[in-house]
Amino acid sequence: MLKIDKLVAGYGKVKVLHGISITVPEGKVVALIGSNGAGKTTTLRALSGMLKPESGSITLGGKDIAGLTSHEITRMGLAHSPEGRRVFSTLPVMDNLLLGAFPRLTGSRHKGDVDGDINRMFELFPRLKERRTQLAGTLSGGEQQMLAMARALMLNPEVLLLDEPSMGLSPRLVEEIFVIVERLKKVNMTMLLVEQFAAAALEVSDFGYVMENGHIRTSGEAHALKNDPAVQSAYLGGGH
Amino acid sequence: MQILMQLIVSGISVGMIYGVIGFGYQLTFATSKTLNFGQGEALMLGALVGLTTINFLIGQQIGTFWAYVIMLPVVLAFGALQGSVVEWLGVRPAMRAKSEAGWIMATIALGIIFKNLAENIWGRDALKFPSPLPEASLSFGGIRIQPMEIVVVVGAIALMLGVEFFNRRSIYGKAVVATSNDRDAAGLMGINTNRIITFSYALSSMSAAFAGVLVAPVTLTGATMGAVLGLKAFAVAIIGGLSSGMGVVIGGLILGITETLTGYYISTGYKDVPGLVLLLIVLSLKPSGLFGKAAIKKV
Repeated sequence: MLKIDKLVAGYGKVKVLHGISITVPEGKVVALIGSNGAGKTTTLRALSGMLKPESGSITLGGKDIAGLTSHEITRMGLAHSPEGRRVFSTLPVMDNLLLGAFPRLTGSRHKGDVDGDINRMFELFPRLKERRTQLAGTLSGGEQQMLAMARALMLNPEVLLLDEPSMGLSPRLVEEIFVIVERLKKVNMTMLLVEQFAAAALEVSDFGYVMENGHIRTSGEAHALKNDPAVQSAYLGGGH
Repeated sequence: MQILMQLIVSGISVGMIYGVIGFGYQLTFATSKTLNFGQGEALMLGALVGLTTINFLIGQQIGTFWAYVIMLPVVLAFGALQGSVVEWLGVRPAMRAKSEAGWIMATIALGIIFKNLAENIWGRDALKFPSPLPEASLSFGGIRIQPMEIVVVVGAIALMLGVEFFNRRSIYGKAVVATSNDRDAAGLMGINTNRIITFSYALSSMSAAFAGVLVAPVTLTGATMGAVLGLKAFAVAIIGGLSSGMGVVIGGLILGITETLTGYYISTGYKDVPGLVLLLIVLSLKPSGLFGKAAIKKV
């Protein structure tokens, strides 16, 4: 379980998050929606230590992780599939997956069955299997997104953060990505999903939070939010 | 023709030394976008520590060849330590302060300090380094090669292949490549990227120290031997492209061979000119180096 309480963060003097609180219960999927610039990505960056929070608390499985570095947070079991995929372009697909399991391979996290997990990733993303010796930089956008997700899953995380997995993908691929999120949900993966496709995100989620200008504007059960007229007109209307 | 071949062969051995030092620049540039401007001094310190060690061992009635072999790990360990110190004192504070140029002054300053230190310990004179192999040249179809020149080439290639093998095969090596690709994303994999950068500095100075004890028996050694070599290797790294380990080696060979050719056909007085001319040409035509990938700086 991931619990964020009154989190304040920003870049230099510019505050982006003005005290937000979000709870991601164990085994549940939580969608974080909102328009461009609302602070969704900044929230995820603050959670995974890419950005140092100014105040507030973040607890992962009861332990305070606010202010730790990203490698420390990752080793504690928070995986982050970042905005823009950020795959290691000069390394083959296979090495990208192995690096996802770096803490498991180097003794800072329970090792488990790394080879078995790689095979499970290939089942979940059959395209990665075909391309496993190919350099990640030569993959298509959709394949890179799948690799970024698979790489994050290789941590065997307690909580998975997904930042805009649908960004820049064709409608058919977006659908494919959401099917995978659905499958992960079925195996009780705890997820915080940031999405511009608000309707689709709420569809696969248990709970939703709507962000606006660095504040949480409203939150609740996903299906309730989906039917909320105010949310509908602002975020679920035309274009999405 | 025979003279030409002879010059090329000599150029290769000189070029390999430039290549190894340049390779060291490339190692730290890849992970941290910084480099050690005291790389020449790392080479000099390696050679002088090697000299003291080998003389001590010879004093213990160990033959020169075995003394040289035993001395190698000592020098490599010393180089790694020295590189870590440079990173820790000169580079990390500048990176923490997000200073774009602080590390340049800091590594130059550390280089000068190391040189002064060496002058006080080993004096200012050039010193003779015992050669582990006979100094008489071997002749291959009229082309004469010193046995130590072969060791230089083989040693340089072995070092670079070793690093390449480590990067491709071990998970720690892959972590180094991942850090070079995208430092933030590497952090998200649970990789301590600060430690990777320290490691790349250690490896970089280790390469320089290794180059120092490779070249020392062929030339002479002394507190001032590093400055020119470090600068030329820097030119080589720029010519080859700082983003390509292979490019740096080829850059080294190009510079080594042009130098020996100029020295013979034009004048030894102009020996240093063609390399620098080449540097200027590469900088104006292909600033990322002959083999470098053009970096796109995202704003």
